[in-house]
Amino acid sequence: MASKILSQKFYAEMEKLIPRYPTRVALLLPALHQAQEETGWLPPEVLEEIGAYIGIHPAQVREVASFYTMYNLTPVGKYHVKICTNVACCLRGANELVEQVERKLNIQCGETTRDRKFTLMEEECLGACGTAPAMMLNDDYYENLDSKKLDQILESLE
Amino acid sequence: MPKCTIDGREAEFTPGQNLIEVAKKVGIEIPYFCYHPGLSVVAQCRMCAVQVEKMGKLQTACSTPATEGMVVHTRSEIAKQNQRSIMEFLLINHPLDCPICDKSGECDLQDNSYKFGDSNSRYTEERRTYLDLDMGPVIKKNMNRCIHCTRCIRFGEEVANIHEMVAVRRGNNTEITTIDGRPLETDYAGNYSDICPTGSLTLKDFRFKRRAWYLKKTNTVCEGCSRGCNMEIHQDANRVHRCLPRVNMDVNQYWLCDEGRFNFHYLHSAERVVEPAIKGKNDDLSMTDWDSALDAAKAALVGARKLTVLVGSDLTNEEILLLQSFIPQHLSGAEIVHFGTAGVATVADDAAADKLLKRRSKTANLHGIEQLGLKPFRGISDGTDAVLVVRGGRAELPELPSVKLVGVGVFEKSEARNFSVVLPGTAFAEKDGTIVNFQGKEQKLRRAVIPAGKSKALSEILMMWMNRKSS
Repeated sequence: MASKILSQKFYAEMEKLIPRYPTRVALLLPALHQAQEETGWLPPEVLEEIGAYIGIHPAQVREVASFYTMYNLTPVGKYHVKICTNVACCLRGANELVEQVERKLNIQCGETTRDRKFTLMEEECLGACGTAPAMMLNDDYYENLDSKKLDQILESLE
Repeated sequence: MPKCTIDGREAEFTPGQNLIEVAKKVGIEIPYFCYHPGLSVVAQCRMCAVQVEKMGKLQTACSTPATEGMVVHTRSEIAKQNQRSIMEFLLINHPLDCPICDKSGECDLQDNSYKFGDSNSRYTEERRTYLDLDMGPVIKKNMNRCIHCTRCIRFGEEVANIHEMVAVRRGNNTEITTIDGRPLETDYAGNYSDICPTGSLTLKDFRFKRRAWYLKKTNTVCEGCSRGCNMEIHQDANRVHRCLPRVNMDVNQYWLCDEGRFNFHYLHSAERVVEPAIKGKNDDLSMTDWDSALDAAKAALVGARKLTVLVGSDLTNEEILLLQSFIPQHLSGAEIVHFGTAGVATVADDAAADKLLKRRSKTANLHGIEQLGLKPFRGISDGTDAVLVVRGGRAELPELPSVKLVGVGVFEKSEARNFSVVLPGTAFAEKDGTIVNFQGKEQKLRRAVIPAGKSKALSEILMMWMNRKSS
């Protein structure tokens, strides 16, 4: 491989994690998280680099990274809005919230605003059914949402 | 042996055997898609679920080992209902394009649908469709036909030792693919098509060539290397259309490499010399009749001061024995040696060429030819003024001196350029015979097609030689 994209810190972090797992392949999920933290999303070259580091075929990295919605295989905006639309949230008005964000940001679900500030996605169950509807904004949970609360949150973002 | 009962029939089994295999032994078919005896068991297609007495739910036969006294029903109302439901489910997104699908006629999905499915579906929603990415020169993918059995993924991981075929995304949007449509890297890609229970992965080489039911099948052995994988030749109208692996657990298990699978193409190549040929005035080969060619061959060889006979290790034992009795009588004094693969002179040089099937010797009968006492070719000896080369189509020609050269067997026009005479012979699919693989197993080559053009069997050529009075 040519020049490495991932930092020294990434590799140092991985070396620390190795003893924690029974197999080297098990490093894949934390490696993807760590890499995404560095690069914001997971471009193909990063997947290749992780595959080479762990010793698995890059296709296998792609397989795993595409399975989990928390790994971004396309670039996302500064604020990644993920609204749960599974059954509990749906019954409590999640679909309307999605539409509200679509209108407000003038994008479709799955798209990023032109200024690269917001990306909107539907999310599968966030495990917050007791406090539905819920959404994730980057790594934080926002629960018991309604139209007003959602507006306030979005407007508070720089 | 312990016994269980399947559909009222008593079945003996060896401990650990699963219900699909036990049922097969007593002639009961349990339908399945994801199960393959050569791959790990995942029980994800659910097609093989059967009713087992004293067990609450249906059990997947592929992942349920038979136990003593087990009573199984594969065609009870509840089992049949499951089979119908699974078929309906697997077909909701299927394009039902059997009339234009190459798998048609030998498709598990089609067969099981007829046997175990229902003729109607309740699904009225839009079908999920894919745009297909490429997969390289061997395999044509049609993702819309896929039922996500993952046999191909497991084959790559467990057998071919390369995890290049993967399932990206998940649920309804799962797609079987290589990264961004990269070509498959494995040398065993043809097997992806064999194990696919649908028309999702088909051979580009065989695409739209013949409907499966027109093909006549001959059990034979691959001549691609010294392993001698068991395979079937499928031909129609005297033309070979494809070769498929045949199960032999001692030799090749269920698999066949691409080199062996597509080796047959030279049989029908326009470059193959299929008529007797003599070197003309302008140093190019011109086609002639058998009598003239035989006379020319005799003129070149009989009376040579020093003749070397190069025998390809792609010939059968029978052909080698014929030559061993013919040459001392009719071309006495000739030195007989064998050739086949550059760098693999003797059995001692033959070794595994990869982790799966391939061997270093690229001819099938190196071990047989040594058992028959022939020595390897180590370079032309001084004073040689004529060389006779006898080979099938596979042995690699060594560098030959510019003396009188006579070829008997299968040659390409470019290879035969320096020859004085070529007598066209038969290739592996055009003759019966015995070959010995690297394990010392004697295996049978069987004739699948009649020899191309005016080619003749070696026995016939030698007979003509003996009966022809020189003019």
